[in-house]
Amino acid sequence: MNLLDIRNLSIELDTPNGKILAVDRVSLSMKEGEIRGLVGESGSGKSLLAQAIIGVLDDKWRVHADRFHWRGIDLLRLTIDERRTLLCRDIAMIFQEPMSCLDPTTLIGAQLSEAIDTSQLSGYFWQRNKQRKEAVIKLLHKVGIKKHSQCISSYPHQLTEAICQRVMIAIALAGRPLLLIADEPTAAMESTNQGQIFRLLANLNQLKNMAILLISHDLEKITHWTNTITVMYSGQFVEAGTTEQIFNQPMHPYTRALVDSSTKANLQLPAKSRLMTLPGSIPILQHLPIGCRLGPRCPRAQQTCVSAPKVSNFHGHKVSCHFPILRETVKKEPVKHKPVKGTD
Amino acid sequence: MLTFTLRRISLFIFTMLVLTLLSFSLSFLFPGDTVINHSGQINATVSELAQLNQAYQMDKSIVNQYGAYLTHILNGDFGQSMASQSPISKEIIELLPATIELSLVALLIAMIVGIPLGFIAAIKHNKTSDHVILSLAMLGYSIPVFWLGLLAILVFSIGLGWLPSAGKISLLFEIEFVTGIQFIDILLSDSPYKWQAFSNASAHIILPACVIALAPATIFIRLSRAAMIEVLAASYIRAARAKGLSFQQIIFRHAIRNALIKIIRHVGLQFANLVTIAMVTEVIFSWPGIGRWLIESIYQRDYTAIQGGLLVLSCFIFIIHILTDFIYAALNPLARGNKYGS
Repeated sequence: MNLLDIRNLSIELDTPNGKILAVDRVSLSMKEGEIRGLVGESGSGKSLLAQAIIGVLDDKWRVHADRFHWRGIDLLRLTIDERRTLLCRDIAMIFQEPMSCLDPTTLIGAQLSEAIDTSQLSGYFWQRNKQRKEAVIKLLHKVGIKKHSQCISSYPHQLTEAICQRVMIAIALAGRPLLLIADEPTAAMESTNQGQIFRLLANLNQLKNMAILLISHDLEKITHWTNTITVMYSGQFVEAGTTEQIFNQPMHPYTRALVDSSTKANLQLPAKSRLMTLPGSIPILQHLPIGCRLGPRCPRAQQTCVSAPKVSNFHGHKVSCHFPILRETVKKEPVKHKPVKGTD
Repeated sequence: MLTFTLRRISLFIFTMLVLTLLSFSLSFLFPGDTVINHSGQINATVSELAQLNQAYQMDKSIVNQYGAYLTHILNGDFGQSMASQSPISKEIIELLPATIELSLVALLIAMIVGIPLGFIAAIKHNKTSDHVILSLAMLGYSIPVFWLGLLAILVFSIGLGWLPSAGKISLLFEIEFVTGIQFIDILLSDSPYKWQAFSNASAHIILPACVIALAPATIFIRLSRAAMIEVLAASYIRAARAKGLSFQQIIFRHAIRNALIKIIRHVGLQFANLVTIAMVTEVIFSWPGIGRWLIESIYQRDYTAIQGGLLVLSCFIFIIHILTDFIYAALNPLARGNKYGS
């Protein structure tokens, strides 16, 4: 059974100049214990999608979905409060820039202990405080902070970004979640710290069978850690599949360009030659192209691209493109179709 | 924290030095003889004048004169009032506590009313209650204080007869002068009518304090609304929501404290404004404070009193400034400096 199953989720923004469709019918499903990467350029709506899932978007954003199931429960049938209590218990989220996500005027210890639900504590109310403290220390040990007493009595600005991210993960773990959404957890961190955070997340995934939705703009960096990857562009679904499928056989021209632009996949390139990139940049929300939003930048775009493509499924490898790059099937498919057309 | 305190104290000392320089130069700029402006002895005989010239070192250079003036000030000798010929320091000690009492009560009312209203407006951002609170704040800010004071007397004292219109306390009560702050004096006294006196004094202070508090309260509404909106949009509030905290928990545990930090410095700045309003209000409500005394001295061309009042009032405002800085540091760990180090 899928842990999370979202079909055609759209996020709209009401502006004085009319509605803007920031996220356009994106589907996402997660199995228990898998690490799924969500990749796209900055501004492609990854963070919006994550925030919509957990329900912390502002009032100005409107979210619609055809299907929104969490462990078989249809969330669209629940009221907003019921949905929030259910999701906040089972889903946790860590954000980019962890230092700004911790209250600057409250001690780390207090922020951690308020994340621990009272139902997790046994005993009478006079024992609760002590238990809470012990639970906080245990959480800090879990995320690899050994100097717990120093950390508890610090303010966020007295810690480094990496320690703050560990504290954020500890806060996320306090609710014993089944799914952890990590929104660019290592943005603006040095590579040693990035490795530590990713290893910590991978450990948690293996030891506690916690599913992780890893959001990043850097395909290359997360492929090492993920089982499956979903690619988004400018608020539209592009491609989804296992990490190998995406990295070795990208079908969508955009994923192709993403893989081509990474250095790891292009080790055979001669020194000092240019990397493959798409011309132009991601469109701003006010001037979105119609149909497939990659259209103006796409090397394979044709006239049909002005209408949005449907998602086609190739053995679990989903791609949303009129003209996908099909390496092995390129020869087979025309052979199949030609006689049919000829008889007509 | 020690460095922080030392910094504030040095700032205080230097600002006060500049202020004494200003009041010293006023003696030269006011009409009349400088030494008489310094001392306020308008009816001095020739021998007394010679003595004063000696005391203020008028025959020496201007630096020495300033030094002599400073010594007089530091000894608590502000000279004599030109109008009443009584020592100014004695008058200030009698009058200043009443002003401190009135302005502090007004500040308290302004904060208690203004800040929560601003928070409510921010939480209900862009809804009806937000608009209502903002328009009321705009209206309150636009009303001139002298007109509001007269209106309040007309309605509440004369029309409805709820509250007294003038003075600090009814003449029936005899309260011994200890600190000058009425409420403390009443509590210290052993009169059998202590609590009657207390309620009477409270009734007297309500009307002027509310009149003073109106304009600062409207400013606090707008400040706290802006601060709260900013805080509620911050990413740590979003993270707290993702943590599963309820809205009340977020507001009371995280939002209010952070919003107060943004407001508290403005409170110090607004206090100078509040004291100015208090001076006008003291005249209207015949409150025996230093503001009324200062305005009267301006009418009577009592130059020594103007100098003394100016020094003492600015000193008072500055002390409040420093106090708010300390409260700011107590609330904001970032202002305290790195104590633990990372």
